[in-house]
Amino acid sequence: MELTTITLATLASLSRVIVLILISIVSGWFLSYFAVKNRRFENIYISFVNIFESIPVIGFLPIVLIIFITGLGGTLGVEIAADFLVFDAIVWNIWIGQYQAFKTIPQHLIEVSENYNFGWWGKMRHLYIPFSYPRISSDIFPSFADALFYIMVSEVFSVGITSYKVFGIGTLIVQATSAGDLNSVYECLGILALGVVVITIVFGDFSKHAVAKYGLNTPTEIKRHFVWRPHIRKWRTVASPTFQFARYTTKMKTGRENIQTAMTKVRTSPSFERSGKYIGRAIAWLFLIFIGYSSIHVILSIPHSQWLGYFEQTPNLLYQMGIDYIRVFVVTVVSFAFAISLGYYLANHKKMSSTITPVIQTISAFPAPAYFPLVFAAMAPFLIHNIPFAETEIFVMILCFLGTFYYVFFGFWVGVRAIPTEFLELVGNYKIGFFTKMRRIILPATFPYLVTGLSSTINSAWGGLAVGEYWPNIYQNQTLQVHTGMMKVISAGLANNDVGIAAWTSLLFAVVVGVYSIVFTRNLMDLARKKYVIEEGIYAA
Amino acid sequence: MSTQALNGSNETIGEVQLECKDLGYSYSGSSFIFKDINLKTYTDELVAIVGPSGTGKSTLLRVLGNLIPPTTGHVFLNGTEVKSPSPKISLVHQSIATFPWMTAVDNVKIVLRGKIEDKEATEIAKNMIGLVGLRGYEESYPKEMSGGMRQRIAIARALAASPTIMLMDEPFVHLDELTANSLRSEIYSIVFNPVNELKSVVLVSHNLHEVVQLADRVYVMGGSPAGIIDEIKIDLPRPRSEEEPLFYEYVKMLYKDLMPKETK
Repeated sequence: MELTTITLATLASLSRVIVLILISIVSGWFLSYFAVKNRRFENIYISFVNIFESIPVIGFLPIVLIIFITGLGGTLGVEIAADFLVFDAIVWNIWIGQYQAFKTIPQHLIEVSENYNFGWWGKMRHLYIPFSYPRISSDIFPSFADALFYIMVSEVFSVGITSYKVFGIGTLIVQATSAGDLNSVYECLGILALGVVVITIVFGDFSKHAVAKYGLNTPTEIKRHFVWRPHIRKWRTVASPTFQFARYTTKMKTGRENIQTAMTKVRTSPSFERSGKYIGRAIAWLFLIFIGYSSIHVILSIPHSQWLGYFEQTPNLLYQMGIDYIRVFVVTVVSFAFAISLGYYLANHKKMSSTITPVIQTISAFPAPAYFPLVFAAMAPFLIHNIPFAETEIFVMILCFLGTFYYVFFGFWVGVRAIPTEFLELVGNYKIGFFTKMRRIILPATFPYLVTGLSSTINSAWGGLAVGEYWPNIYQNQTLQVHTGMMKVISAGLANNDVGIAAWTSLLFAVVVGVYSIVFTRNLMDLARKKYVIEEGIYAA
Repeated sequence: MSTQALNGSNETIGEVQLECKDLGYSYSGSSFIFKDINLKTYTDELVAIVGPSGTGKSTLLRVLGNLIPPTTGHVFLNGTEVKSPSPKISLVHQSIATFPWMTAVDNVKIVLRGKIEDKEATEIAKNMIGLVGLRGYEESYPKEMSGGMRQRIAIARALAASPTIMLMDEPFVHLDELTANSLRSEIYSIVFNPVNELKSVVLVSHNLHEVVQLADRVYVMGGSPAGIIDEIKIDLPRPRSEEEPLFYEYVKMLYKDLMPKETK
């Protein structure tokens, strides 16, 4: 493979990700503004985002195939299909972050903007958009990592004997791996790594600037002009955004209203309230029509007799889903244990943290599916020889862990760093023992961060299973596949041109995830907001 | 530097409890915030530290408790050098810090967990809550309490740890005037109650009326890097009243010390 081709492919993939992140940010500003101004739209918007965020990218594949591949067709159709899948991987995280930022703008700043008649655009430009920068700058990292993870499954995918691909580094890596051309794989990974490091450093500097200038009372010095200067050696910059986010969240949450109380305080002008309602309803209906159209399209395209077959298979599919839930549970527990041990250690050892954290951050940003075939190639002989009964499970778990652990890890780490100094002094002052400290102070104090982190880890673990449970030609004609697993059913269904079973399984999964999200995740988040906001423990009039 | 008092008395009674010698602190290791600080507290004495903003009063308090290690100098508690944070020197924060997910009694008990039996810890916590005047609120959560009540819980927690010294960093600054006045009038009898093992209190405050009302002795900080520029003994009978002419004389004396000196 030529170096120029690899470089261009890397640029194409990274540009794809950057453009999609920008689209997510801009659309998120408008949607979040409508959401905070219109309760009805807000309820619909947040429910949809929560549900969609929980559905792995591959779950959208049947819909994408029908709308973009068969509907639009051609190179443009495949390109948009790939973009849509990557967009799906990044957008929910950014949208939720922007919404939360808008919801937590201090009431006095909103009153100033209303008092002096800023107008809609004035409020957006001078208050809402700037206020969301710190949050965006911290959300951009997991979104970027997520996008790169999914670019491996989005740039090239097969349905039956037809393979769809767009020009990008994901496609090149898959092609080189399948052909056993290890040199090209290493070149691709090397150039991709370079691109990832450069973008992470740029994001890091943007984040530093955003938190310093737009965070509330952060101690970081404001640079008057944001001019990016490359300093590759300065690895600490990569980690700094998370440090700053910790400070930012501490400062921002201190003494401010929580989301629920702020919700009742938002005042809107009657005319905007009316127009906002109409716009909100229109967007919500567009969502519904889009999903409804796609579902009906899929259902109608499958013969009636085939559907009866799917219904008969449903108990077995639910069993396979149960097995996958066990896998997700194991990965989550391992990630959690890793997070609270290493996360706590790093949060309390600044020097070690400044070295290890950038490494973890870079690993997390580097897409696991890109290098996983090499991990597979290196470990397969050993595992097949020594643990033949669980070798596949171990590979799937490793892939899931590599693609997901950082959510709960960074969540916990940021949570520990966001604990106000007063409480840490109190712990030191009274020599509170380790277990009492963990059980009664650290874990409750980081509970909101842990819930968010665990939720993202669980969601991404599904993505890891989607990739790992059925991976044809992972390395030199070897196929990684589990015996039982719902994600394998979806992937194998697509590979065997059985779009119906893939769509039906995705639908079942979406329903279960939706119920799980409403019953479990949302209740935990409510509990976190109501009881476990450590910043509320500081009373400073 | 000698101790000033308006009635001519400059004696202090009792054993030395907390003592610091040549204490200095610098964030960067070069430019000191304060330097060469020497102060003592005696048994049953409330010592106040006043000074303009930026002189490092709150930092000094944390250095006294070894929550921040000093850059130079040493701190002694009953003649033994303090080298790590200890419940024997308890800090009450300016920003009132109570755990939102714990009831009042759990907030107080947290400093006793793992050290004594749970039943005994509950008993002590309830006694301390009673001492600060919150009997009946043991099972209330912080968010169900006012700022003044929360600060009482923080004081009860500090007292539950059986400290010898209590460090108070502007403890009333976030309370409204009425609540602050009410707590101020009770604080002396709360902290120097026979129930406690507390020997002395170090209070940092910007409120000169509060200082004259509460303190037995006042250290005035000033200069750059800051040092102790004056020591004033407040020789007024308790309970103190702002109506007393001497009360205002002490306030004026402190005010004069804190005003920037004119250069000719």
